[in-house]
Amino acid sequence: MSDDHLTGETEGGRGVALGTVELAARTERLAPLYDAAVKTLFWGFRLGAAILALGIVVALVKREPLGHEADPIPDVIAMLRAGHASGIIDLAILWFMLTPVATVIVVAASFWRLGDRRYALLSLIVLAILGASVALALNR
Amino acid sequence: MDIVYSLEIGAVAAVAAILGSMLGLGGGVFLVPILTLFFGIDPKFAVGASAVVVVTNSVVGSTNHLRIRFTNPRLAMLLQIATAAGAIAGALYGVLADPRVIYIVFGAVLVYAAVSMVVRSERQVTAPPPGAPDTLRLGAAFRDPAIRQEVGYIPINVGWGMGVGVGAGVISGMLGVGGGVVMVPAMNLLMRVPVKAAVGTSTFMVGMTSVATAFVFYSRGFIDPTLVVPAIVGVFLGGQIGSRLTRRIKAQRLALLFAIILLYLGLSLLLRAFGIEMPGQS
Repeated sequence: MSDDHLTGETEGGRGVALGTVELAARTERLAPLYDAAVKTLFWGFRLGAAILALGIVVALVKREPLGHEADPIPDVIAMLRAGHASGIIDLAILWFMLTPVATVIVVAASFWRLGDRRYALLSLIVLAILGASVALALNR
Repeated sequence: MDIVYSLEIGAVAAVAAILGSMLGLGGGVFLVPILTLFFGIDPKFAVGASAVVVVTNSVVGSTNHLRIRFTNPRLAMLLQIATAAGAIAGALYGVLADPRVIYIVFGAVLVYAAVSMVVRSERQVTAPPPGAPDTLRLGAAFRDPAIRQEVGYIPINVGWGMGVGVGAGVISGMLGVGGGVVMVPAMNLLMRVPVKAAVGTSTFMVGMTSVATAFVFYSRGFIDPTLVVPAIVGVFLGGQIGSRLTRRIKAQRLALLFAIILLYLGLSLLLRAFGIEMPGQS
């Protein structure tokens, strides 16, 4: 099949079209990465929203006032076990914050599976930087 | 939960998101000034809330951009090293900084955004020639529905882009905004990335950048659930309304009005840094 099927006749002529077609094919080779990232973000948001909604309902039903400061991460589990709305809401906030971190892990793994070691490594560097900020929050 | 207070914050966040969505700036640019100027909220708590809201907005917005391949994951990861590191540095400074410094920097960013809105420039990116150098394999393509064609591009000036990324990260970390206000023009004008790809890549990046900011503010106790929860809900709803309005109203036609709002908020923050309050503010 001709490369022109992707672009049709372009003003720039065949040379331009070929360059673009090569780039389009390269982008499409990343399809598994795009799909995995979309699934992670989609479900990350849905689950976070569900946890947040649950926390709001529990707070309203129990007439439980929320604190003006999110609990330290190690305390959130204890708050959850005790059934406090604030624990559920803290979990929702942390869930939203961790969703992009999970996406970086998925992107790094996808680059690795696709044989792109360079960008898998760069993604792991991003993960390490984000991990440093998570570590700060854990040591509060 | 204080229902009335939550509804007020949610409504303000929705308005911030509608304005931000119509301008492509994200909600944080409006949320932090409104919360500090009109609700008298400590700027550090406003920045912390904004950072979490920006993360949530990015999670929602990125999904669509990834599906239609506007996002360039290689470019995002490369630039993200610079912006995430900058964000941690900016946030570590932001949590300790005198609030007046935050007012001054935020005010300057808003004035810059207002001016750039009036003098908006956009570079039309031409397709790369065959065999164009792409040593970092950053070149990509997407199908532009407006022209019904594949658009290919190879980013250039990557080193400069990373340098700007550090600055965008520092601003994002200090102010809780996404950094797209800096990164989108930088990618387009400096790196010759088409605007749609720049917006798609930036939307994906700002989530990661703001995560770094949000965790630093979390570590210092500046995440207030009574602010964050209604702000997330308000920004989500406002973003949906804003994206629908954007399809009906040409935001460019309202550029001057939006620029005046940004200028007013920016000057208000600059004046607040010197202890001067404008009428109607708290």
